[in-house]
Amino acid sequence: MARHRNCEGTSRRDFLKVGALGATGLTMSSYLRMVEAGQVKGGTARSAIFINLSGGPSHMDTFDLKPDAPDTHRGEFNPIDTNVPGIQISEHLPKLAKVQNLYTILRGVSHTLGAHRLGTEYVNTGNKPLPSIEYPGYGAVVSKELETAQDIPPFVAIPNSAQKPGFLGVRYAPLNTGSTPTAGQPYAVRGIELSGGLTINEVEKRQSLLKDLDSTFRSIEQDSQLIDGLDRFSQQAYYMITSKRSREAFDISREPSESAKLFGEDGFDQNCLLATRLVEAGTRFVTITLGGWDTHRDNWTVLKDRRLPILDSGLAGLLQALEMKGLLETTNVFVTGEFGRTPKINTERVGRDHYPRCMFMLMAGGGVKGGQVLGESNADATLPKDEVGYSPDDVAASMYYALGIDHQHEYHTNTGRPIMVVRNGNPIKELFA
Amino acid sequence: MKCCVGMTVLIAALSPGLAASAADENADSQKQKELRPASERFASPDTDEIPDFRRLVVPVIGKLGCNSRACHGSFQGQGGFQLSLFGYDFKMDHDGLLERVDLETPADSYALHKATLDEPHRGGKRTEKGTWEYNVLLKWIAGGAKNVDLENSPTFERLEVTPSELRFSKAGETVQLKVVAVWSDGSREDVTCMCRFQSNDDQIADVSKTGEVVNQQAGDTHIVAFYDNGVQPIPVIRPVTDTVGEKYPKLATKTKIDGLVIEKLAKLGVVPSDVAGDTEFLRRVTLDMTGTLPTPQQIRDFVADANADKRARKINELLETPAYAAWWATRFADWTGNSDDQLNNVTPVRAQAAQDWYEWLRARVEKNVPYDRIVEGIVLAKGRQGDEDYLEYCASMSEIYQRNSEASYADRETMPHYWARNNFRQPEDRVIGFAYSFLGIRMQCAQCHKHPFDAWTMQDFHEFKNFFVHTTFRNSPGAREGAEKLVTDLGLDTKLRGNDLRRQITPLLAQGKVVPFDEVWTRKVEPARETNGNNRRRQQNNRGGNQPREARLLGESEATDLSQFEDPREPLMAWMRSNDLMAKALVNRVWAAYFNVGIVEPPDDMALANPPSNKPLLDYLTQGFIDSGYDLKWLHREIANSDTYQRTWVPNDSNHGDQRNFSHSIPRRIPAEVALDALVAATSADDEFGKMLTDVDRRSISIASAGSRYNENRQNYSLSVFGRSIRESNCDCDRSEQPSLLQTVFLQNDQDVYRLIDQGRGGWINQVASELGMRQTRTAGSAGNNSERQIARAETQIRQLKAELKKAKKADDEAEATKVARRLEFAEKQLARLTGVDKADDKASATAQSANDAEKIPDIIRRTYLRTVSREPSADELERTVAHVKSSENQLDGVRDVLWALINTKEFIVNH
Repeated sequence: MARHRNCEGTSRRDFLKVGALGATGLTMSSYLRMVEAGQVKGGTARSAIFINLSGGPSHMDTFDLKPDAPDTHRGEFNPIDTNVPGIQISEHLPKLAKVQNLYTILRGVSHTLGAHRLGTEYVNTGNKPLPSIEYPGYGAVVSKELETAQDIPPFVAIPNSAQKPGFLGVRYAPLNTGSTPTAGQPYAVRGIELSGGLTINEVEKRQSLLKDLDSTFRSIEQDSQLIDGLDRFSQQAYYMITSKRSREAFDISREPSESAKLFGEDGFDQNCLLATRLVEAGTRFVTITLGGWDTHRDNWTVLKDRRLPILDSGLAGLLQALEMKGLLETTNVFVTGEFGRTPKINTERVGRDHYPRCMFMLMAGGGVKGGQVLGESNADATLPKDEVGYSPDDVAASMYYALGIDHQHEYHTNTGRPIMVVRNGNPIKELFA
Repeated sequence: MKCCVGMTVLIAALSPGLAASAADENADSQKQKELRPASERFASPDTDEIPDFRRLVVPVIGKLGCNSRACHGSFQGQGGFQLSLFGYDFKMDHDGLLERVDLETPADSYALHKATLDEPHRGGKRTEKGTWEYNVLLKWIAGGAKNVDLENSPTFERLEVTPSELRFSKAGETVQLKVVAVWSDGSREDVTCMCRFQSNDDQIADVSKTGEVVNQQAGDTHIVAFYDNGVQPIPVIRPVTDTVGEKYPKLATKTKIDGLVIEKLAKLGVVPSDVAGDTEFLRRVTLDMTGTLPTPQQIRDFVADANADKRARKINELLETPAYAAWWATRFADWTGNSDDQLNNVTPVRAQAAQDWYEWLRARVEKNVPYDRIVEGIVLAKGRQGDEDYLEYCASMSEIYQRNSEASYADRETMPHYWARNNFRQPEDRVIGFAYSFLGIRMQCAQCHKHPFDAWTMQDFHEFKNFFVHTTFRNSPGAREGAEKLVTDLGLDTKLRGNDLRRQITPLLAQGKVVPFDEVWTRKVEPARETNGNNRRRQQNNRGGNQPREARLLGESEATDLSQFEDPREPLMAWMRSNDLMAKALVNRVWAAYFNVGIVEPPDDMALANPPSNKPLLDYLTQGFIDSGYDLKWLHREIANSDTYQRTWVPNDSNHGDQRNFSHSIPRRIPAEVALDALVAATSADDEFGKMLTDVDRRSISIASAGSRYNENRQNYSLSVFGRSIRESNCDCDRSEQPSLLQTVFLQNDQDVYRLIDQGRGGWINQVASELGMRQTRTAGSAGNNSERQIARAETQIRQLKAELKKAKKADDEAEATKVARRLEFAEKQLARLTGVDKADDKASATAQSANDAEKIPDIIRRTYLRTVSREPSADELERTVAHVKSSENQLDGVRDVLWALINTKEFIVNH
């Protein structure tokens, strides 16, 4: 009978249907089908890892050094050579310098939102935030668009994420690990571990009891999306809980020593290790959050002693592990903070403040050609050179491109408003050269 | 420009009964002469008529698609040419077109060349030379390409569509609609050829661009015609069975609601389901009304009650429970947007503003304060009460905020936090938020373009906005000096600001000191001074500036002079009482909470193009609610006592496909807070379960706030997984009642759920253990390492305390001994709680499982069913579950499995 229909013709009932199926990925975008048919050349990624450097890392002290800038701007660190001739990065990123060939630096990325919340929402959705709408984070879109095996969670956040499912609905929310694995220790995630002595036998026994008892609504499965959806979820949950593959994917203590040794003992290292394992198992989108970059005070001390060594070790490990496992070709890696930091040093606090007009992002894998620097900032790193820079939207569109997802695909909000995956950006072709 | 469409007019246009059928022809004779369609008048260019820009040109460029979102309606324009999206910005459209016409040789106009693809056009060919559309544009240009003179032209009044209702009997049937526009001078024009048409469900009826409707499947929906500012829905119906007319059964209609619902169902050939049995009714009504599961005792008592009026009495009883007030206050908090995130720093104590907000609402729901007065308390809210000056205001607020204060924020007359929210400070945000909260309409579209599904124009939006600009948070008169004095009196540095200041004053507040509070206040609008020529310009500027003197109510044609009121929001509130928008929005939302869908769905989208599925029903409830004096309990009773509400979810052959016409109950997932509370209840011992309706303060249904600080709280994991409202975006969809994988994973295997199942004392399994004389082997203690550690720690502590006690006694230190003894007692209790056994249990466990335990099992199973799915098990279910328990190594584990399975059935998490 009558159903509400939004202006572009998709009924709410259809949403529900797509949603209920979407988690198992029975839907595929037409774009993706075209890609598969060779009509469109997309990237080669089947999964993505997004690392959110929360707080806003200083671009001038990491991947966009200006050794010749005046003392008011330059900062304490010196550049070092990387394994790609001509590319230099901060001296406190020695491990990343040795794998520069695996990833590409985007310089002179620029936007205008200098507040943490807004900037974070921007770089996690590829859309400039609007008060009237909550954009879905990348992971929600990717898990809606790409098929995932039924016993593998499509979207995992380690330990949690700024990415929300937004108007796509809670079913595309990430599975939050809620915690960080400890090196060498068995690890399990909330809800899908077998703990408290629970055995597979017991789970199967009670599941069969449940199946026996859960028959009240059998007559209306055809008519009720809710009942149908609950049935599917019940099965999926059971698959995940009982799937050895799923549990083992989370258990970093099972990592072969050959690749495990690429990672340090820090929590971030282990999160990176976990991300590679999940991607290996078929998870489509993993986010890792690494905070502590809001260096208004003691910028150089904080970076040198804590932030940079941690990032250096974990990210270099991640890239090498993906390469070793042959997964770099099928995994897009995207690293960014919500903004850069003021090129002009805040001498009072020996720090740098929020600065969105010039920042860096990193990208690797899934068809991205490593060992490049794309874009350029001006002499004092205050703006993109010639004021032509990349926008967060462009980089987001590039990530979707790598994954073969049409970034101009339109969704409809509950209010019927049509919203593109990324409205204002275009893939950066040079990344895939 | 004057307002074009009066709200009252539009509503009137919707109301002519649904009596007319497809065969009905309106009596044309009584009407003024009607202009023939433009498609006939301009079939040839040889006409003297000069097309009117508003009546013909703009509709034609709309019809040709020029002003669509993908083309020149885009906010960036296309090819440097921008038209207003969905029309209605006549100046902009005229200016744009004027640059693209050739007044000398009209046929050489660039705009025409583009449209006919004589010039390359990315938008493709829109029309051809010689068509009537082309002729309209051509003749308009030839006539001087004049804009409309809005001041001196008749205004648009309404659309009349014939037939006014479509009744189909088989697929493929077609009907051509005719749409007539009526203007304020009485002139009429057949505008069918210029209308935009939309089907609200093209699986039931499709409509062509020319207004020809084709029936597809059986069912009901609306076709909507759009022209100028008119939005006219036309009901379409095709019965889903042949049980119509004479064949439709004579059904009893217990209440007016039932009569109106069945009237619609009869047209559809849908026979409603039977009224549900007692257990189904009781579970549903208790969940809907109080957000609580009925206890096994309540279910058994209710079933045993032989009185004919027991359902009505139950409804009255539930409406008097604290849980009713707690749960519905939460719903009001959703609609009004009570969020900690948005109330950051509104009061000196963190998170307190959200708490105030909730308590203020709850007190009113509890006392059944008329809804219009609750709304008034928010719409006209301000910080100071009565004659309070700033310092007195601070004194009374400080008193409320003192620890253990007897004063309560709920006692304040108004609730200004609504106006203090971060996302409610800009006038535009206020229009959108206000319209959402109290009118259930979506004004956001009209902020940037004509509302595509409603009458609202940008002008409506921006003139309505002026009611909201005079109310401010902070910087009230006297506040600065007052705050400085208070800060000085407190001995603090007057230079302290923001968080630094708050950190200092929060503890002082707790100690009973008077501290400064920010406040919501309203500036009185000064009347216009007599003007002479010189300062008229300033006056005019002032009108459009920051302190506009005039504002215009939605749907009214005349502006309101705000200077005539003490508070410029007064006319706004008076207007809300003078029409039925506020009542309608509330009635529809409450209905939606009981029926899964609103009469208008989504409930917060009361737009002309989204008409109610049963208009007489919505009108009846709206008027009844107003006539009752906005009595909320009247509304709840009216709904819950109807057969319509009490019908079973079990469908019959005719109604299984019905989602919108209330012919049966629709299973829906229970809301987040209710779900978590239901889990707690189902796993609790009888005593604890019995307190759910009355001890509401620790329940999830009475959590005041929403917001990220709140959401990230680990304890609230389940609430966020189950989609508790985030109260962020002025949308009822901020609350999600959709199912998800994470929810199911949570129910099946989350530690929080195991902790509830395996809680020690106070838990159902623990109660079963002691009834069976068994020891609870598996407790939250043994379920995780964490608790094992806790037990170990408690045991060590007990050992140490015993030693200390001995020592103290030896030393004759009585005071110390008493103290240690108390700590020991506490530690032992703690241990008992962790392990789920006390000494009595120990004794019981010493006795062997007696033979008659076997007979206890069926009874325990029955009660497990009652506490989860609120019914007795069927014979088959009882047999299976008893067999499961008996085949388990440990009977308690068997019962535990049954409890686990039952809370994982769809029947548990679904309200039905």
